[in-house]
Amino acid sequence: MSTASRDRILAATKANKPTETSLPTVPDFGGEATAERFTAVLTGIGGSVVWLDGLAQLEPTLRQLFPAAGRTVSPLLATSAAVDAHTPTEVLAGIDLAVLPGEIGVAENGAVWLPEANMMHRALPTITQHLVLVLDHRRIVATMHQAYAQLPNTGGYGAFIAGPSKTADIEQSLVIGAHGARSLVVLLY
Amino acid sequence: MKVALFVPCYIDQFYPQVGVATLQLLEKLGVTAHFPAQQTCCGQPLANSGCEHDALPIYKHFVETFRDYDYVVAPSGSCVYHVRKHFDKLDQTADVQHVRGSAYDLIDFISTVLKVEALPGAFPHKVGLHLSCHGQRGLHQANESEMTPVRDGQLRRLLASLDGIELTNLNRNDECCGFGGTFCVSEAAISARMGQDRVADHVLNGTQVLTGSDMSCLMHLEGIVRRARLPIKVMHAAEILNGLTA
Amino acid sequence: MNHATRADKFLLDADRTTWHDETLWFVREKRDRAVYAVPEFQELRELASGIKDHTLSRLDLYLREFEAAAQANGVHVHWAADAAEHNAIILDIIRQQGATRIVKSKSMLTEECHLNPYLIKHGIEVVDTDLGERIIQFREEAPSHIVLPAIHLKKEDVGETFHIHLGTEKGESDPQRLTEAARQHLRAKFLAGQVAISGVNFAVAETGGVVVCTNEGNADLGVNLAAVHIACMGIEKIIPRLTDLGVFTRLLARSATGQPVTTYTSHFTKPLPGREMHIVIVDNGRTQQLGRPDFRASLKCIRCGACMNTCPVYRRSGGHSYDFTVPGPIGAILSPNIDMKKHSSLPFASTLCGSCTDVCPVKIDIHTQLYKWRQVLGEANEIPASKKWSMKFMGRVLASTRVYGLGGQFARRALRLLPHSLTHAKSMNAWAVARELPEAPRQSFREWYAKQPQPVSSPPQPKVPA
Repeated sequence: MSTASRDRILAATKANKPTETSLPTVPDFGGEATAERFTAVLTGIGGSVVWLDGLAQLEPTLRQLFPAAGRTVSPLLATSAAVDAHTPTEVLAGIDLAVLPGEIGVAENGAVWLPEANMMHRALPTITQHLVLVLDHRRIVATMHQAYAQLPNTGGYGAFIAGPSKTADIEQSLVIGAHGARSLVVLLY
Repeated sequence: MKVALFVPCYIDQFYPQVGVATLQLLEKLGVTAHFPAQQTCCGQPLANSGCEHDALPIYKHFVETFRDYDYVVAPSGSCVYHVRKHFDKLDQTADVQHVRGSAYDLIDFISTVLKVEALPGAFPHKVGLHLSCHGQRGLHQANESEMTPVRDGQLRRLLASLDGIELTNLNRNDECCGFGGTFCVSEAAISARMGQDRVADHVLNGTQVLTGSDMSCLMHLEGIVRRARLPIKVMHAAEILNGLTA
Repeated sequence: MNHATRADKFLLDADRTTWHDETLWFVREKRDRAVYAVPEFQELRELASGIKDHTLSRLDLYLREFEAAAQANGVHVHWAADAAEHNAIILDIIRQQGATRIVKSKSMLTEECHLNPYLIKHGIEVVDTDLGERIIQFREEAPSHIVLPAIHLKKEDVGETFHIHLGTEKGESDPQRLTEAARQHLRAKFLAGQVAISGVNFAVAETGGVVVCTNEGNADLGVNLAAVHIACMGIEKIIPRLTDLGVFTRLLARSATGQPVTTYTSHFTKPLPGREMHIVIVDNGRTQQLGRPDFRASLKCIRCGACMNTCPVYRRSGGHSYDFTVPGPIGAILSPNIDMKKHSSLPFASTLCGSCTDVCPVKIDIHTQLYKWRQVLGEANEIPASKKWSMKFMGRVLASTRVYGLGGQFARRALRLLPHSLTHAKSMNAWAVARELPEAPRQSFREWYAKQPQPVSSPPQPKVPA
């Protein structure tokens, strides 16, 4: 590592920067913070929303939604195999369904904030074949402004996840299931 | 109100009827415009080619020619845009500032200064409106599809006020025609292709008369229409609004 | 070779040009629908522009703040003056790990620095994991778009490439099946990856974290399985506060593809215990651009690609016609800063229609900068001599009423009298290859006007007709 480059870059930046301008204040634009809006948007981007009649219904609902699910892991299920930061890659690669608690839902874009603490393993949300995020509907906000305003911090790692992994890199044809989860269901309760 | 008519060089030489229609239309609206004979060009062809410096004498000549008028009106939004935006290279004397502020595209002048929103007359044809980029995005004479789905604008309103007219609903309401000044020869192939695509949109949607308020775009589109021998007549909006029949 | 000659080649296949134009226009229309649906969209553009302006005006301070916060998070921060230093730093990190298998998610900066060929030359396997990037990596081509790197290819082209490299059935061109084949192929690469390289969409000074936006999830999968993450960023990626992301994440995907947000908006802040995270901060001409008052706003770019999708020239000439890492309007204002001679034709590859400026989510005055680069190039004698001298000549003619009048008369007479085959000769007249010249009238407007009775000296006040 070259401290010479660091010093040169910082000196050139200082010398060449324009006259200081002020940092704008970003208003709260309000907006619709409803489960209906969240559902409509998420459905539009390839995800789906299922209402859960309380967390007690999680297991039967999952059985109904994923009758053929293979290896399923979740911090919310007592029956789940243990997955943590030390779980080897080859074990992760065999996971079919991950059910993780989401923290904040964003109505304008269908995204759910998933912090590292809720992931079991950082790679789990993308390496699993199918992903379910469980979200308290009262945690739905209208916009990304409101979502960021509610985040205490972003931890070591965290992601807003909006729908299943997808690509349109071949002729702009939308294909669901690029490298990450092939499907995303948000269970609202 | 002392109004000067600026007839851009290519209109003067190739489309004198557009200059005549502009003069007569203004006359009908109660404005007698003078044509100062010493006028030449706004300098845009040079500046757009990277030779702004060589255009400075033309800018100065323009300012000297028009400084004694309250308004300078031209049937070409592109030239007006150039005067307003790029004459910032001159020392900003009172004359320069005055001329920059008083330059108006004909349709803008009719709409904003004369506050005319409707005109008498009939034009029973299907008319395709070509929005010039400099008039639309530069002088804000029409809504932009980048901002809003609502297709509205000064010329659209004026044309719509004519009896019997039907405006073409284009697939792409405001895509550039590809003229671009010297771009039309330095990037001739792209320029032509853009023009052909624009014309195809008009053909597809039934345009009989193609019009606009910037003759430079129309010169390019007319060249393509005539080469392809298409049954489309190209007219400057001043001609239509002045009551010329297609 | 200039832009026009490369565009000529692209345009030879008229049907493919139509397809390319329509495919990108489709993306522009998706963007429009997404933009219209957000009432405060124009306000957000203004805010984003203001935040970026402010950041540039304190960039050295924010860079220091970012570095300190990142280091406090246990991240190694490196500084690279140019592409060579950037590549050397990365190779060094890889060698320290004894790694040979690298997975990389999309990063225009590493394209700009030609990192892949450099690593491959040094015996390192580097696999691009974004689907579009992987396709062009197989084909040994450069990306033709910053968001849609393989947008110049048809599904049949991709099918052929995958048949050769992944053993898919010959003639297979179904995007769903081709994507599935890539998924299986790349899974193995992800699982085996030792070092993951990613780009950076935003670097937050306040937290020292970086944000990476993807739809495929390839950055997350690669980074979270590998022992080492190297994130590469230009100095202009900084934003001050975490909450500023509210503005930028609302603008980025809507502008880029018309999605309300990218599928993954991932915040990488601290490495796990036992793992490493490195951030390489790169200049490579950016501080020089910062010092050009007319052009520094180009550093506000968030790489959404909207200016490409809307550009009528880009859509009809393809990304490769720009011969620069970042094509399209934004590339045409970034490239002369890097090599004025090589890229001298790019600022002229535009009609200055201004659509790029109007879609830009951070309000870069792209078309004005194109115009200004033309002046810089003119002054530096980087425009064709024939053009330069004809413009000098025109300047003289048009500054004089008399010379102008005579010239016009002569031209019109010549047009009227000379045969069509001569006035429209394609070899001499680029206009006439696809267009008729205007019909030359017998008299000019000024000649007509001179014959009219002179108007009264005091014109009447305007009247609105009944």
